[in-house]
Amino acid sequence: MITCEEFFAEFADYMENQVSPEIRKELNLHLSQCRACQVLYDTSLKTVKIVTESGSFELPHSVSDPIIDCVMAKLRKDRS
Amino acid sequence: MSFLREVQLKDKFGPFAAFQTGLGFVPNLVHAQAPLPRLIEAQAMLESAVRLREGAIPRVQKERILLSVAAERQDAYCVPLDSRILSSLGVSDVHIDALVADYRRADLSASELACLQFCLKLSRDAPSVCSGDIDALRACGFGDESIFEAVVVTALAVYRCTLSVGLRPEPDFGPRKLPWTTFDQPQSLARHGLLRDAHEAEQRKGPYVPAPYLSPKTFAPFAIVQKSHGFIPNFFRAQTLRPDLLEAELEAVGRILLPEEALTRVQKESILLAVSAANLNSYCVAMHCNLLRGLGMPSEEGDQIAVDYHEANLSVADKALLDFAVKLGTRAQEFSRGDVVNLQAVGFTEEQILECVVVTALNNFANTLQMGLGIEPDFAPPPVFEENKVHLSDAVATPIGCQGGVYRADVLQDLDAELVAQAQGGKLEAFEELVRRHTQLIYRTLMGMLGNPADAQDGLQDTFLSAFKHISGFQGRSKFSTWLVSIARNTALQRLRGRKNVESLDEPEHEEEADFRPRQVRSWEDNPEQSHSKSEIKQLVEAGILGLPAKYRVVVVLRDIEQLSTDEVARELGLSVPAVKTRLLRGRLMLREWLSPHFTASTKGAVK
Repeated sequence: MITCEEFFAEFADYMENQVSPEIRKELNLHLSQCRACQVLYDTSLKTVKIVTESGSFELPHSVSDPIIDCVMAKLRKDRS
Repeated sequence: MSFLREVQLKDKFGPFAAFQTGLGFVPNLVHAQAPLPRLIEAQAMLESAVRLREGAIPRVQKERILLSVAAERQDAYCVPLDSRILSSLGVSDVHIDALVADYRRADLSASELACLQFCLKLSRDAPSVCSGDIDALRACGFGDESIFEAVVVTALAVYRCTLSVGLRPEPDFGPRKLPWTTFDQPQSLARHGLLRDAHEAEQRKGPYVPAPYLSPKTFAPFAIVQKSHGFIPNFFRAQTLRPDLLEAELEAVGRILLPEEALTRVQKESILLAVSAANLNSYCVAMHCNLLRGLGMPSEEGDQIAVDYHEANLSVADKALLDFAVKLGTRAQEFSRGDVVNLQAVGFTEEQILECVVVTALNNFANTLQMGLGIEPDFAPPPVFEENKVHLSDAVATPIGCQGGVYRADVLQDLDAELVAQAQGGKLEAFEELVRRHTQLIYRTLMGMLGNPADAQDGLQDTFLSAFKHISGFQGRSKFSTWLVSIARNTALQRLRGRKNVESLDEPEHEEEADFRPRQVRSWEDNPEQSHSKSEIKQLVEAGILGLPAKYRVVVVLRDIEQLSTDEVARELGLSVPAVKTRLLRGRLMLREWLSPHFTASTKGAVK
């Protein structure tokens, strides 16, 4: 069976579902027998889900509209 | 007379031994590469591993493949050479003559006939090879290793024939009569490309032979590839059935591509990209586009080389270099001394021309191997290349650029195109609509780079003003959003330069990144989102992301919050896909460490 270090070397592609069937088989086997890597995998997936669904750094219209209005006003002024 | 000046190396030159032992002499094809001895080392490694080392296919059968491929290509140099080598292995001249004239009448066993048919199809028209061809070989009793070797030997044959056309060495032996025509009428690449797509559903996807897992920890060449490329391409992973061949191939590739004493890395990668595109090899196109991006070439320039390098932003000399390579790599029968003279006329030295020939031969070796083994892509090829593939194959049939066929990367579908055209015509309302469409993307890019809302909002304004100022210069070589992000990046970089503590966005991944290991090993609650309010989670995530170094922050924001694909993030930020993957993983794991204390399950679930 592959080691934790080898599992980690493939981890980025495994998370993105971009490994070949042969490698996936090896990684799944490791995962089924290594609690530490199971936790790493599970918590990493949860991290991505939380970050993706957080709606972070959304610029509310109350902030973006005045910025856009200001940009357009400058452009119109420059033209006239 | 060979095309290039001849240089004498001492007989004791190490790599000569491989040829002297295996073939009994050193062919002129090898001597012709003497100006750059490392290229001879590369060929010696390939020939020793593929041709001379004992494997699943007997040596005589390998020689028959090499000779038949050379004969079908009407290679006046390789045919006498390979005939003599086959003769030295005890094969009769009558049989060799029959093989050269038409292998189908050479009294071969049914299985060897099937093998040669496959190898010739692969050499002649690699894009048409499919899983059905592999199944046919299996039905004739070929195992995985034999199929693998047949593909690699064919790739070596193509490599040698490309070298012989490009270097035109003095023949080692008297001429042999060549066949009048190719054995089977080749169908046009375009037709095959279309047929292949149409039948794709019925065909199995690759790779066609199993590839056992090899770890970079135990297989040293993979550790080197991981370090140089940032990842291990499927191209190499698919060849693990024969680690010895793979090792030799990696050594050879390193000797040909890495040194910059003659051509630069960018020139060599551009050759590989342009010839792969002409060979309709999506895998290699995607690979070399990414490698060029990693070497600092903007993605739209790489895309343009793939679609039509004549329209790319290259010097006249570099376009001539690609003309030379594409002609040698795809239309060898038209290649002549005049092509060498043309390159000399634009200033290339003999060493550079020699290296261009060898890089082109390596490209055809790789294209043959990839298509013969059905190796799956690591990344998506540029959409514009896939869209134009059929047109390109027409252009190959009637040389690219000779029929007024100009193919531009700007045929890319962009939903903003109409508004952009109106904005370029001065319509401010159209520009305002574009601004509103992309405000979130630009704001998040700026937040990712600057890590400060006030700076990001100021940057937003500067980005849009600058975009309007320069919109007439936007040529549509990338999507409008990509162009806008590039302006935002420059805006952010200017602001970063004004800061006291500059955060670097461009530093390459160092070993400490590779050595980064997550520390938190406690499991989390099943549904961590449910134990915290939405606003609490948002605050937590934002604080965590703002605490990341800028180069990770911007990648996490664009991939996980803006939800662009890895490929899109790479394009927007001008990074290679592997660099994005490395930064994304590191950023995600750092965020995981940051979030862990908030979501860890009761000690019951902790790992002891």
